[in-house]
Amino acid sequence: MILPPFEHHRPRTVAEALAIARQCDGGFDYVAGGSDLLQNYKNRLNPRPHLIALGAIEEMRGCSDERIGGLTLLADLEADASLIPAYPGVRNAAAQVASPLVRQQATVGGNLLVETRCFYFNQSEFWRQSIGYCMKADGDVCLVVPQKEKCYATYSGDLAPVLMTLDASFHLAGFAGVRAVRAREFFAGDGIAKNLKRPEEIVTHVTIPRLSRGMLADYAKLRVRDSFDYPMVGVAASLRLDGERVAELHVVVNAVDTRPLPFEEYTDTLTGRQFTAALIDEVAHEVMVQSRPVKNLVLSTSYRKKMIGVLLSRLLRGFAGDRQLAAAGV
Amino acid sequence: MADDVRDDAPRRDYQVIGRRIPLIDSWRKVTGQGPYTDDLKLPGMLVGKILRSPHPHARILAIDTSAARRLPGVHAVVTGAEAPAKFGVLPVSQDETAMAVDKVRYIGDCVAGVAADDEETALAALRLIRVDYQPLHPILSIDDALQPTTDPIHRHSKKANIHKQVDQEFGDVDEAFRASAFVERERFEFIGVTHAMTEPHAVIAHYTADGRLTIWSAQQVPHYLHRALADVMQMEMHRIRVIRPMVGGAFGGKSDPFPHEMIAALLSRGCGRPVKILFDREEVFLTNHGRHPTRTEMALGVDADGKLTGLDLDAKIDGGAWGSFGVVTTYYNGVLSMGPYRIPRFRYHGTRVYTNKAPCGAMRGHGAVNSRFAMETLVDRLAEKARLDPLQFRLDNLLPAHTTTVNGFRITSNGTRECLEKVRERSRWDEQHGKLPYGEGLGVACGFYISGSAHRIHRNRFPHSTVHVKIDMDGGITVHNLAAEIGQGSDTMLAQCVAEPLGVKLDRVHVYARNTDTAPFDLGSYSSRVTFMAGNAALRAGEVIAAKLVQAAARLTGRPAEGFVLRDEQAIYAPDPTVVVSYMDALHEAMAENGALVAKGIYQQPPPMGGNFKGAAAGLAPSYSFQAYVARVEVDAETGFVRVAKVWAAHDCGRALNPLAVEGQIEGCIHMGLGQALVEEFPYVRGGYILNANLLDYRTLTARQMPEVEVILVESNDPEGPFGAKECGEGPLLPILPAVANAVYDAIGIRMTSLPMTPDKILSALERRAAGRPRPVLQPA
Repeated sequence: MILPPFEHHRPRTVAEALAIARQCDGGFDYVAGGSDLLQNYKNRLNPRPHLIALGAIEEMRGCSDERIGGLTLLADLEADASLIPAYPGVRNAAAQVASPLVRQQATVGGNLLVETRCFYFNQSEFWRQSIGYCMKADGDVCLVVPQKEKCYATYSGDLAPVLMTLDASFHLAGFAGVRAVRAREFFAGDGIAKNLKRPEEIVTHVTIPRLSRGMLADYAKLRVRDSFDYPMVGVAASLRLDGERVAELHVVVNAVDTRPLPFEEYTDTLTGRQFTAALIDEVAHEVMVQSRPVKNLVLSTSYRKKMIGVLLSRLLRGFAGDRQLAAAGV
Repeated sequence: MADDVRDDAPRRDYQVIGRRIPLIDSWRKVTGQGPYTDDLKLPGMLVGKILRSPHPHARILAIDTSAARRLPGVHAVVTGAEAPAKFGVLPVSQDETAMAVDKVRYIGDCVAGVAADDEETALAALRLIRVDYQPLHPILSIDDALQPTTDPIHRHSKKANIHKQVDQEFGDVDEAFRASAFVERERFEFIGVTHAMTEPHAVIAHYTADGRLTIWSAQQVPHYLHRALADVMQMEMHRIRVIRPMVGGAFGGKSDPFPHEMIAALLSRGCGRPVKILFDREEVFLTNHGRHPTRTEMALGVDADGKLTGLDLDAKIDGGAWGSFGVVTTYYNGVLSMGPYRIPRFRYHGTRVYTNKAPCGAMRGHGAVNSRFAMETLVDRLAEKARLDPLQFRLDNLLPAHTTTVNGFRITSNGTRECLEKVRERSRWDEQHGKLPYGEGLGVACGFYISGSAHRIHRNRFPHSTVHVKIDMDGGITVHNLAAEIGQGSDTMLAQCVAEPLGVKLDRVHVYARNTDTAPFDLGSYSSRVTFMAGNAALRAGEVIAAKLVQAAARLTGRPAEGFVLRDEQAIYAPDPTVVVSYMDALHEAMAENGALVAKGIYQQPPPMGGNFKGAAAGLAPSYSFQAYVARVEVDAETGFVRVAKVWAAHDCGRALNPLAVEGQIEGCIHMGLGQALVEEFPYVRGGYILNANLLDYRTLTARQMPEVEVILVESNDPEGPFGAKECGEGPLLPILPAVANAVYDAIGIRMTSLPMTPDKILSALERRAAGRPRPVLQPA
């Protein structure tokens, strides 16, 4: 499959990138590693006449315990054990994305902004033309839930959920200047709108609050194979304990909706509760009940829903480690 | 040595046979040098592209290619009407045309072809072709296809969309069941799977000014392509030359003559320039020729003494739009159940239907895989009913060596007993089966497969394989034969079978197995025939030349020829080993006043065998391979995930000509079989659309999911195989699926009757079993 024709730009700075974006007047995409975008381009899924490659922008590189640059390769994040204390759970999440080869090419920014997925969307031009285009590309109906209002394509990036549980912020640079958007608020809208980023904005780096550094955090991903695949569901959680009681608990469920789903309202009610096996069961059950996967990925929706509970339960038990909770029958 | 294993082949100290030899083309593969078909560039070569049907079933009312022809950079456009001659790999089932003529029969069916300067122009030209379709009702399931119709997909189908029916009966099965202590019956559903080979299909066609057509194609059966091209292009065969470059995997997905090859040839003839067509991955899936979706209903009986009494089998297979090898598949779904167990009565009803989906064909294990799964599951169930250990039960029901099955298969060498005994011991079966903690289990299964189809698919008396060997004064040995090297190691095998009788180092032998002009024909790489047939032919050619070298040595030394042995690149006089003639000296003496040495070896055909009833030929083979596997699995009962921890894989290959290659085939078969068992599926949605025509969503097993495999090579020394060898490319796939299913039963007490055993299906099965019993939502860890 060949790519459609496009003009390729390679700016050296964020300012230069924005200047090119302004000239392209909406007809452009940014590309970093390209492991998500180029496949969609080959399938002729909303290709644009201009591609602005960000790979030469030095100021977006670099990963320290203060910030994660948007161009940080997932493989580098995975390899650097020194980053674990600053970003609990993030390295684990990065290590579960795709495969080692893809992680050599894929970037943090790219993974946050990965295109939403649906098996009526992620198909070739020939297939989509034959069956009829959908509203996310060239058409005006949803082929999963037949209606014309909302697109149900599923969010499938593996980094965002745990970053949301850590209350990370995404730093954006655009025509109006720079701003920070909390990860928990960033993802909004349906499978087409996806997030609050304006088209020309670039995710330059990610930070997490100092307070989050002491938390326990992790991400668990369900896929049929143990490599390469996008998530069928994912769960992320972060926990801070005060003795045996919950000081803060955050849960995000991935790959069941057009955005990673936070459960802030629910987990806020758990502050002060004892972190026991019974609580874990209760949380896993409630989160599962509130999740409603749509039938646009391969495994059955009832199974994916059930696995949210199982994955979350195991993840939270993992936090218990070898503490007294083991004695409490966890 | 167990009773069933013959050992009358003289034990010799072979020099290349039995050695672990890296395949002789390995360096060109791992360095990427190939060349593969897509690597080839010819002067003036154009890019060919195919316009494919967006409808599963439709009449073609009109095709307008005028705008495409006018596009600058387009040099040829072809449509179905220009080449209406039918073709197909089986002479009894030729229902394909180069492109659709009156109607399209599946989404992806070829409608037109263009040749242009570059890919972008070719794609633009396709977009300019206007086709008026009249959509017809699509037939998308076995049940739909069985309904009577007045407008079948293929006009030659009589009552419904049925392509082939097979009915065979040997003895009164119902009576046997009535007299049985237990009869187990089950219905199994198998979704289609496909080869997912690494190299997409690729072809270059060049119709040259001298009126000859040369085709380079990634092919398993260049000889059948050669024949089909002559029919479709209406040319004499000798004007067509087929060349097979390096092939990056095939597994039955490249074992037919294909429309894209015809299209490339027609385009090239249309403009006189070379035309290359390279499939993108979606086109590979659309072309399919994979394993048929199958509905298997099987009943198996056992008597009070633990002996199998009878087998009743009904298989319905969904062939998709074309015939391909499907007639053979229809037979193999039934007849290949007649080993390795002794089954005194057998009834088989097989049906292949046409549907408006991607055509199915031969895929590794051809027709035997799904029935084997059913049989090995029912054998386990019977053993359980009869309160017998399932491995012992199998041992007590084996066919012996040198016997005939009730449907007329001539069994010669048979190593099943040794296979079962070895896996029993290595896996510590007796200590562990039925005794592991919940969630862990061991399962056993056997297999049985042909080592080459005994009968030709074309009626003639040509040898199944012919090998020419030539040696010139430089001492290099060239071996010429059309056996298709597709990664299974046939080139290396040919080299070994020639090097051994000549007593020379393997790297002196150069195999030319690519070109129909210079390689005498071999029928091709399918039905696991190449080692047995081409290997025998090569060995015989080698022996002819060996005789010439030995006579030359005799002349040079004055010693009698029969005393000489060829080894270590020498002719050594055995009664006095100080009398030695070097290979080169013997060669040059043999060449004096004679010229280059040439020899021919043939494998004419297997001895007469089989019955006289309709379809008796199907499944006849000059020898059969046998397997027994034990698999150890771990099932996570909360998520339904099955992890295969280890496989003990015993395979009777007669003699391992190259143990490294045999192990590779066994491991590859296990990988492919586990794929079908655990993760692979080829589903259709919404009226004939393949859901996952790409390598992300069509999931093949990752390296991390592969179990540890302990290969156990069993050598039963086949009396007719070259050096005693039999096949090892397909049989080893059969037992892994049922061994895993039987292990899952040992682990969690669930029997799966449909594949793949994805976690959601396992979990549903566990829940169905638990239904009615109160159970907390989540178990404590």
